[in-house]
Amino acid sequence: MIDPGIVPSLDPNPLPAPYWVFKLLLVVTFTLHMMAMNLMLGGAALALLARWRKSNAYGNRIFLDVAKKVPSLMAATISLGIAPLLFVQVLYGQYFYTSSILVAWPWFLVIVLVIAAYYGFYFVAYRGEQRSLAAGRAMLFSTTLVLVVGFIYTNNMTLGLVPARWAQKYLNGASGWHLNLTEPTLFPRYLHFMTSAIAVGGLLLVLIAWANWKRDRQYALALFRFGGKAFLYANMAQIVIGMGFLVSLPREERMLFMGDNPLGAALLGIGMVGTFAIIFLMFAALRNGNIRLAGLGVTGITAVVIATMCVMRDILRDAYLKPYLNAQPFAVQTQWSPLLLFLGLFVAGVVLWAVMLWRYGFFTKAGETGK
Amino acid sequence: MNYPVWDVAFGAGLLMALVAGLHVFVSHFAVGGGLFLVLTEWKARRSNDAALLGWLKAHTKFFVLTTVVFGAMTGVGIWFTIGLISPTATSDLIHIYVWGWAIEWVFFFLEITAALLYLYGWDKLEPRLHQWYGWIYFITAYASLVVINGIITFMLTPGHWIENHRFWSGFFNPTNWPSLAFRSCICLALAGIYALITASVQKDAALKARIVRWAALWTVPSLALLPLFAWWYIRRIPPDLWASARGAMPTGTMFAGLACVLLGVTLLLALLALAWPKRLHLAFALVVALVAFGAMDSFEFVRESVRKPYVIENYLYANSLYAGPMAGDGGFTVDKVSDAGVLKSARWVKIRELSPGNQVAAGREIFRVECASCHTPDSYRGIHQLLVQREWDQDTIKSMIGGLYLMHNGVMPPFAGTDAELDALAAYLATLQTAHPVVGGAVDGKTVYEHDCAMCHALRANDHLFSNMPRDPKTAVDALKDLPGMFPVMPDLKLTEGERTGLVQWVNTVRPAAAQPALPQPAAAAPSKGGN
Repeated sequence: MIDPGIVPSLDPNPLPAPYWVFKLLLVVTFTLHMMAMNLMLGGAALALLARWRKSNAYGNRIFLDVAKKVPSLMAATISLGIAPLLFVQVLYGQYFYTSSILVAWPWFLVIVLVIAAYYGFYFVAYRGEQRSLAAGRAMLFSTTLVLVVGFIYTNNMTLGLVPARWAQKYLNGASGWHLNLTEPTLFPRYLHFMTSAIAVGGLLLVLIAWANWKRDRQYALALFRFGGKAFLYANMAQIVIGMGFLVSLPREERMLFMGDNPLGAALLGIGMVGTFAIIFLMFAALRNGNIRLAGLGVTGITAVVIATMCVMRDILRDAYLKPYLNAQPFAVQTQWSPLLLFLGLFVAGVVLWAVMLWRYGFFTKAGETGK
Repeated sequence: MNYPVWDVAFGAGLLMALVAGLHVFVSHFAVGGGLFLVLTEWKARRSNDAALLGWLKAHTKFFVLTTVVFGAMTGVGIWFTIGLISPTATSDLIHIYVWGWAIEWVFFFLEITAALLYLYGWDKLEPRLHQWYGWIYFITAYASLVVINGIITFMLTPGHWIENHRFWSGFFNPTNWPSLAFRSCICLALAGIYALITASVQKDAALKARIVRWAALWTVPSLALLPLFAWWYIRRIPPDLWASARGAMPTGTMFAGLACVLLGVTLLLALLALAWPKRLHLAFALVVALVAFGAMDSFEFVRESVRKPYVIENYLYANSLYAGPMAGDGGFTVDKVSDAGVLKSARWVKIRELSPGNQVAAGREIFRVECASCHTPDSYRGIHQLLVQREWDQDTIKSMIGGLYLMHNGVMPPFAGTDAELDALAAYLATLQTAHPVVGGAVDGKTVYEHDCAMCHALRANDHLFSNMPRDPKTAVDALKDLPGMFPVMPDLKLTEGERTGLVQWVNTVRPAAAQPALPQPAAAAPSKGGN
């Protein structure tokens, strides 16, 4: 039963810019966060896998090489996660705070788990060579923690979509242990995100292979094959998992992507075509040893696919919350000077960031340095 | 009431204090330590001090692993935690200051990138470029502090924002600049204190001594300057709020005293380290850090204490009720909830109607939605402990809740709810009482004062209890029969004749002493001194 009254009231302070500004910032920054998360988690998981596969002569080298990148990717994931966490609270605070309180302890533990995982990753990056056995265990430990964090996120985010379930959960216990395990979309959704991480982690390996292409072709080829295959398998699995996720959605929401919402349907189409395209292209690249095709072409299309998925996720959220969203519209009163200051600093920040990377040598020696 | 209340068995406030307390100690180091890195590198390169440079490289790793991981994540942790404990305040602060937070995010992103490149660049970059990253790090880290400081000080002294709701009015509020100066000093002092930790494990005694002397240049002047900025800060806090730290509120006063003492001890220890710089031991460095941690967190507790009962002064109470009616308050103001009733206003209660059979259960729900954001039944800020200490029965509890807003310089928000709900809350709280006073025995006036008067009255000449109580014992004992008749805001306590007689006798005994100029002791502690 839909009872809009269960959703907490908005606070009295108006939105300090038009709705669409926040929506745009939310979707864009969330997409960037997803890309960083995928690289971090997928990289860590594939590093572990490389180490375990005894058949791969370069297993441990791949492990160490990728592990060195993981802490920085973790930093990027967290830094890029802050912005969508801010903007989701601007637009969806009533849902977000409530579901967070229902799942409060696991949600709070996210902080503890991320800190522990982060230190584990740093341990592997700094001590991986000297303490090989401990490094493998630390990597497994940290990767598992990140997987748990992802699971907690999926629980909280799906719980935020179903206000009808809140009251019963809360009144059965206010101590904050309500995961959303009965949610039919929970596991398909979680798997969808995690599989995407494996695929993108494969791309990370391909990019590292590309950076080593001229310096050490044998090693680069091993990386390319391993990463490329992981990418292929994950994407093939994703077709099945993605279908499963779509099927698990309530009929009304599912139909949005089957024609009820033209944009939703178009995005699903682009996502599917894109997925088939990247599978095909990666296959071709692997067969022909064409690292440029994999590093540039596949990466580019994959970024587009991720972006379409993030927009679809947003459409899905608004569809779930439709009965509630219209109950209390936002008041808007634009704070012009802080907004312009933010935009100015944002642009300047992006430029400075690029200059920082450029002066460090990230762009100038592509294909030669391993950094 | 608008949002569900997370029931943390040991106290939500304690969890908040833990996360925030750890974060501030690292985040201020993250700012001051940034300047320390670049200036130390500059100094080491200028004097061709390879040993110092070698230490600084290791210190950078310690710095990054501490600030970028633990510092950054506990900062996000504060945000997670306030969203769980004070969702209304979080929502307000997000909507009022989203562009402030967004600007802070830009600085944060640059800060993290610069920190990592500075760390990884030690072996890769030429010195000037390496220091360039260090400067970017420090400037963006300091800019983050400027933004956060503006918002935190807004919560204590919103200034003209209350009337005009303008971003910059709230941001450049009365305590913004003194707090920024104060916190900047803390940042510099912590840069020196953390340096002692990594310096202490150096084997080269001469190098260790050089670092300790250099660190002292950061720590000692900053600590010595702190009282000056504290004085400026305090002068910009409205005096009636600051009174909480000057005796009116026991916790606030205790932490104010503790902050002063621990600041002094930190300075003393820093000077001791300077006196024997070659002999600095890791244990000693950790003690300095621990004492500094205590000093700093005591200061943060004072800031939070004087702000009570508000989260945003004069705007939002700690229990998420708005101080006054406004468009969009959702009915969640003290007056509106008192009219409509808690059980009708709150979204997250099972019991909607009171009946004689459900009083205690309803009282428990009222406690949860109205009190549990700060109190627990019997743990942190536990009601059980307060009740046992004061031996209140159900009627007294009810009377006292009616005057919550008068206690300890107004540290509590007023009770919001109907009379019947007040009865229900009192009935529930009475179940937490395990002390049963002996009835009919001799009554000690001082005990009566401590149990029933000291939370609002203070032992000083100008307090109504001591200045206005009739001098004639019989008149006074009679007058105490009807407290609201004496003064309308008084709780309707039914003191026995013995209690009244004892209280009057005691008041008359201490009155001459209390007729001296105002005593600075905390209200609860004062009587023991006056009574002896």
